Amino acid sequence: MTRKPDGLRFAGEIDIANSDAVGASLALAFPVVGDPHLDVSRLSFCDISGIRAIVQAAGALAPGRRLLLHGLPDQLETVMKVTGWSDLPTFELCHCGEEKT
Amino acid sequence: MSMATHPAGDKFRHEAMFYSGWAEFVSGTVPFIKQGVAAGEAVLVVESAQKIDVLRSALDRDADGVMFADMAEVGANPARIIPAWQDFVRQHGQSGRDFRGIGEPIWKGRTADELVECQRHESLLNVAFGTGRPWLLLCPYDVENLPAEVIVEARRSHEFVVEGMSASHSELYRGLEASGGRFDSPLPEPPADVRHIVFDADSLLSLRRHAAGFAVSNGLSARRATELVTAINEVASNSILHGGGTGSMRMWRDASGLLCEISDAGVLDKPLADRTRPGSATRDARGLWLANQLCDLVQVRTLPTGTSVRLHLYLDARPHLHVVEDGPSAGGRPTR
Repeated sequence: MTRKPDGLRFAGEIDIANSDAVGASLALAFPVVGDPHLDVSRLSFCDISGIRAIVQAAGALAPGRRLLLHGLPDQLETVMKVTGWSDLPTFELCHCGEEKT
Repeated sequence: MSMATHPAGDKFRHEAMFYSGWAEFVSGTVPFIKQGVAAGEAVLVVESAQKIDVLRSALDRDADGVMFADMAEVGANPARIIPAWQDFVRQHGQSGRDFRGIGEPIWKGRTADELVECQRHESLLNVAFGTGRPWLLLCPYDVENLPAEVIVEARRSHEFVVEGMSASHSELYRGLEASGGRFDSPLPEPPADVRHIVFDADSLLSLRRHAAGFAVSNGLSARRATELVTAINEVASNSILHGGGTGSMRMWRDASGLLCEISDAGVLDKPLADRTRPGSATRDARGLWLANQLCDLVQVRTLPTGTSVRLHLYLDARPHLHVVEDGPSAGGRPTR
């Protein structure tokens, strides 16, 4: 995980071996105010436990705050859709396109 | 309408309707549909596109009060049919309206593996709905084009059978409890040279690499290979988390496509575990559900020694749609 001025970025693969650490690091790394940004464009694989960790971190935000997900790869999008997690109000998919460069 | 006056009685009524030829198909289904429409019930018919055409014509204006869905889409993987009925039941259960349905999951073009899963599906319908609201589900069986043993199994999985104009209790019905009993029907063995790959939490990554390589080198598109790897990873994760910390995987190819089987020492004792739509609670199990949404067929077997999950991905993405249903010959097609 790296921290950019405006948010966080995950790279590599997330599965049950590291998803607990992902969840813990997300909770710690979120800014105190404002909507946190998370760039997932460099995640080449993410399983259900990884998306669960992201969904839980988003759900733990104070009311009114949302997690903004950037650069959702097809594989993550498929898992989120199939598991019914693509329409939660606690996060938003951003399609600004800049993070894939 | 009170529960006491429901045509299904006080519980779910699962009927197999045996027909031979178009005329019997129509006379066995159309009055059932019209009765539901006349009573103001919600009616969902899940049939082949060709049968939907025939029913629309026969129902004429009554067709407007009926929902239709193509079984080749809804039930290509038969484990997706119960969730579709559950959506229907949930939707109409909330409105307080009564409802009924017709579903024909078994047709002549089903592969042997699909057929056995369809038969399990028919039994699991009793488990999914047997203790809920009363409703009627009529399952047509084409006795002319299906083997006799398929009809016998239909008598075991349905509490009622309709033959000709009369409905009766099926003497062979296995009952609600046995309908959800352990499913250990043996699966055909892969070729002897297919090797087992043992995995644990530390080797999931290399398991994914191996599976992706096998899938792509055997002709799966990159997208489908990724879907297969995603499904394999979830089933293998279940082995690690719930099946004793380790498992073994075999991958091979047959005439229909790629197969992958994951086995572990765990016990899966929830008969609907692989076809229960996950709720919004983040802890809800989702792995087997995902496998059924991404794979063409998923075969779960629970044995005294453990659990096996066999995933199928067809190389020809939707072989069902290429099976042209020639339909029963007796009586010919009804004219419009």
